[in-house]
Amino acid sequence: MVDEDKKTILVVDDEEDVRRYLTTALTASGFNVITAEDGGQALEEVKKHKPDLISLDLVMPKKSGAKFHRELVKNKDWAKIPVLIVTGHARDDLGKADLKNLTMSGPGIYLEKPVKPDNYIAAIKKLLNMDSTEEESKLADKLKLQSELKNLIDDADPEMLEKLKSMMKDKDKS
Amino acid sequence: MAKTKANKTSEVDSWIYKELFELVPYNIAVIDRDFNVVKANDNFTEYFGNWKGKKCYKVYKKLDRPCENCNTLLTFQDGKTRVSDEAGIDQNGRPAHYVVHIAPLKKTKNGNIDYIIEMSSDITETKRWQREYQLLFDRVPCYITVIDNNYKIVRANESFRENFGDVLGKQCYEVYKKRQTKCPNCPAAKTFKDGKVHRSEQVGIKKQGNKTHYIVATSPVGRGMGEVNQVIEICTDVTELKKLETEIIEAERLGAVGQTVAGLAHSIKNILMGLEGGMFIVGQGFSKNDQKLITEGWEMLQRNFEKITSLVKDFLSFAKGRLPDLELVEPNDLVKEIVELYKDIAANIGITLTADLDENIKAMPLDPKGIHSCLTNLVSNAIDACQMSEKSNKQVTISTRYEKAALIFQVEDNGTGIEYDIKQKIFTTFFTTKGGLGTGLGLLTTRKIVQEHGGKISVNTRKGEGSKFIMAFPKKRLYALYNSKEA
Repeated sequence: MVDEDKKTILVVDDEEDVRRYLTTALTASGFNVITAEDGGQALEEVKKHKPDLISLDLVMPKKSGAKFHRELVKNKDWAKIPVLIVTGHARDDLGKADLKNLTMSGPGIYLEKPVKPDNYIAAIKKLLNMDSTEEESKLADKLKLQSELKNLIDDADPEMLEKLKSMMKDKDKS
Repeated sequence: MAKTKANKTSEVDSWIYKELFELVPYNIAVIDRDFNVVKANDNFTEYFGNWKGKKCYKVYKKLDRPCENCNTLLTFQDGKTRVSDEAGIDQNGRPAHYVVHIAPLKKTKNGNIDYIIEMSSDITETKRWQREYQLLFDRVPCYITVIDNNYKIVRANESFRENFGDVLGKQCYEVYKKRQTKCPNCPAAKTFKDGKVHRSEQVGIKKQGNKTHYIVATSPVGRGMGEVNQVIEICTDVTELKKLETEIIEAERLGAVGQTVAGLAHSIKNILMGLEGGMFIVGQGFSKNDQKLITEGWEMLQRNFEKITSLVKDFLSFAKGRLPDLELVEPNDLVKEIVELYKDIAANIGITLTADLDENIKAMPLDPKGIHSCLTNLVSNAIDACQMSEKSNKQVTISTRYEKAALIFQVEDNGTGIEYDIKQKIFTTFFTTKGGLGTGLGLLTTRKIVQEHGGKISVNTRKGEGSKFIMAFPKKRLYALYNSKEA
């Protein structure tokens, strides 16, 4: 099954529908795909066949994405595998801390569910430094900027944000 | 012989009289009809100073003319003994309070009284204590009243009068609560009955008409045994505390709502992801003319559509009713119902479901429907956990007890237990480990109901050994909610 010319992506998510969706999207763009339901299975898969990139959900039963990542980077060889985080918990208490730790040490891009197929593929290609169309690379840059902005906004002082908001409103009026 | 004996007796008498005159712990003075002090003992001299050749009003009060309302004058007129409470000035010029006993000393043949003896003792200290006590009584930051056994207020301190208004001749319930009849659960009634101290929490109405929460302690007045004729009621105002307590309950409730909304958002995001995926796969199927992909995507759309339908349904039932509908119910009966409901289902899959009930538990204000669904959730979780375990002797026990003034419901199983990581999340989101089978609302709903009762839910669990879910309802909070609902 594994085509040696193609890059292999490991999709880790506890939801079957998400795995199917991402698998279909990746296959359509010419990637090999392997899947895992949780962090434990994902480690097994990595042992069997080192992927070129891991698409990782954060909150999963049994072994979470963060836990999996901590074990992954203990292995020097595996630590170099780029990881794209795809999560629904980017902004709540369950995922925020994990996400911050991961993005700071990792790729700096995360995608918040629900993800659009184009965005997903663009982000993957960017992380793999693959040749991409001009459109794709623009999209990836935009995503990266968006991620950074989201992080900044999440960390920002709410009062300061309110002030900025009203300043912008005033500017619009004048 | 007889005469000598009589003389001797008289000598002894005179000696005793002289000694006594000096030794008694009183200030003694003899006054004549012109208010001259004609004789006084050493105690008197020590207290009031030199008296020789002076008028009594000069000696006692350092005045230059007779006192108004002079009791001595009255006794000169009618020969009756008198006791009076006087304020004078001692030999050092300091105010002196003393009690004086006035008695006629000698009657002449024509019936006139020539002398009066006055015995006084200093009560300056006693007066000071009285004042201090009165000040303390009036100014302590408590409401104090003394009532007789007809519930009439016989004394009330200043704080009480300031807050509750005039008390004279009024019944306590009238002043405390503006009621016409005795209050139910009256702690003073209990004290009248058994002579012991009783405490309770009450809601009163101040003179301006605003409500006040206070804790009252009632205690019998007097040292004697037997029947209690008066009871003192000491109340501490806890209105502010009460307000804080309600605010805390409210904040916890809002916190729960916040987490619920976050959880809901997450669930919806996941479903949107499924819908997005379904659409994409169907699209791929069309563009590649791949029937298999079209079917797969279509099924995915259907599945996620169903998910959102059941989520909305669950969420509506979750969101229904903000305040628990409290009524007095027997907690043990609620447990018995659940055991009846699940016993057979559990037995069919090899699980023993038992109840371990504390028979001392009395009826409490609870929302029976809410507690029912909490217990249902916990028991069905416990059964699931047992089912996944490979043990041979699977057990689920529901128990009740009192612990630290709280009513406890506990559901314990010896099933799979919960891993530490997951334990952190079970109450916080629409978290489920049951894949498509759970909506992740069970424990969240349970926690919401428990918190709305002012209670707490906690879990003790160990992977492989089982779990113990504990719902604790502080009695005070249950009654606070119950009373606020009544009011």
